[in-house]
Amino acid sequence: MVFLTNVLSGFFFVALSYWVVIARTRRQALAVVLAGVLVVALISPPHAQAQGSLVAAIQSVLNVINGLIKTALNSINSVRTAISNFYQQATWPVALINQAKATVTQMIGQYRSAMQNIFTINLKSATLPNPVGLENAMRNHQTNDFATLTSSFGSTYGAVPTTTEASPADRTMMDMDDALAVDNLKTLKESDAAGDLTLQAADDIENAASQAAPGSAPFLTATAVVASIQSQALTQKMLAAELRQEAARLAHENALRKRGSAMTGDVNMQILNLLRRK
Amino acid sequence: MKNTIQSAMRGLRWAWGHKTRTIVLLVVFTLLAPNPIRSEFVDPCCAILATGLTTISSALSNIIGGGLNSILSVEKSVSNFEQSVVWPQNLINQARSLVGNVQGIFNQIQGVMRIPVNSATLPATQQFEQNLLSRDANQIAQTGAQYTAVYGGVPNATTASPQTRDMIDMADAAAQAAMKRAIEIDSLADLELHAADQINQSIQTAAPGSAPIIEAQADAWLVRANAYTQSATADLMRVRAIDLANASASVKNGAANAAAVQQQIYNLLKRQ
Repeated sequence: MVFLTNVLSGFFFVALSYWVVIARTRRQALAVVLAGVLVVALISPPHAQAQGSLVAAIQSVLNVINGLIKTALNSINSVRTAISNFYQQATWPVALINQAKATVTQMIGQYRSAMQNIFTINLKSATLPNPVGLENAMRNHQTNDFATLTSSFGSTYGAVPTTTEASPADRTMMDMDDALAVDNLKTLKESDAAGDLTLQAADDIENAASQAAPGSAPFLTATAVVASIQSQALTQKMLAAELRQEAARLAHENALRKRGSAMTGDVNMQILNLLRRK
Repeated sequence: MKNTIQSAMRGLRWAWGHKTRTIVLLVVFTLLAPNPIRSEFVDPCCAILATGLTTISSALSNIIGGGLNSILSVEKSVSNFEQSVVWPQNLINQARSLVGNVQGIFNQIQGVMRIPVNSATLPATQQFEQNLLSRDANQIAQTGAQYTAVYGGVPNATTASPQTRDMIDMADAAAQAAMKRAIEIDSLADLELHAADQINQSIQTAAPGSAPIIEAQADAWLVRANAYTQSATADLMRVRAIDLANASASVKNGAANAAAVQQQIYNLLKRQ
């Protein structure tokens, strides 16, 4: 391609010189020169770019690297360093994390045994064999001796009279009263056992808190809240039992009132009949 | 040779005779002659380019590479801190495992609380007791009839005074409502325990970042449970209030009856 260009250029300049030489008039020579200049101007390739623009481009890239990119990287680095420092000094300082865990451990040592000792003080006070048996059954936190509780209750408070010993209404009411009383005593044994297990769960959660990390603590708090819900549900079951008991007591008194009212009506009627006979 | 010299002399003579044309041709040749091709090795433009690229490479290595290395170093430090201090995987797994253990304890508790406590021996009381301990809100509809079967109904107007009938009816209503509430609360407590199980299972599969969301839900359940507890406490207070009111009404009735008896004795004495 370069060779062909050179040949054509040589041919062109020879032809141009020839036509200039043979031109008869100055006007012809001028026309030939002008035509040659026009041809060269039309077919000549564009000039190469100046070296100055390449230097400027390189300098421009260097300016971007040294200015914008360097500044941005420095800024990112300083921000990340600040975040790292903030994490380690303000949000999760290791010293305070360790201090918190140490506090948990220290409080476990300070309170757990003391509270357990208070909670396990013997509260029993009965002195006679039957009440002692009932009290033991009531307070032993066991749920596998309900039969013992029922029999101790019967020994202490007596059984429902036979049909010949009491009216059906009395027997029904006595049986209902006894049933609800024994039901509640059984429920309390269950609640005592549940309370022991709840305390164990609380101990477990506290033990785990003494070894937790900030990232694992949310699991503990969440499960502690769930344990609170379950504990609240158990409290509700106890409240329900108390409601039944109080309602039965009210119903019992009301039944006596009904009976008194009926008996008063009967007595009134009998007195009236007596007076009428006279 | 001689011919060549003669031709050159002739050309010079022609050029001397056509000065203008010669000058124009020289000017045109000078201006229009093609530029020589530059060598890649000796062209100063390539040297500048090479120097520029070397400088850019150096800048990329030092400034960008150095900056990125600094950032990488800080990021590694943050990553190590987060993984060893803030969110250590072994402690997270340990906490998840604890959640499972606590769940196991509460499953035991639920088992304990489901042990039957029925104790009644007579048919009517057994049926009523079963209803009261059913933990089934659908059975509340039968509570009224079974209550009446055990405790009797309100006396009719001929056998009791209006005040006594009012007292009896009110006391029955309070007692029955409390018993119905007890069934409701038992049923709600079962549902709460069930929900607590579900929440605990969610915690076991949660991430440290999602656990607080589950905790928020558990908090909401706790608030709800507190409301139910308060409702049960309110019914307990109502039963006790009615009990107190009954005691007071009995005293009032006693006073009224005493006054009536006094009046009758006075009337009897007057007749004599």
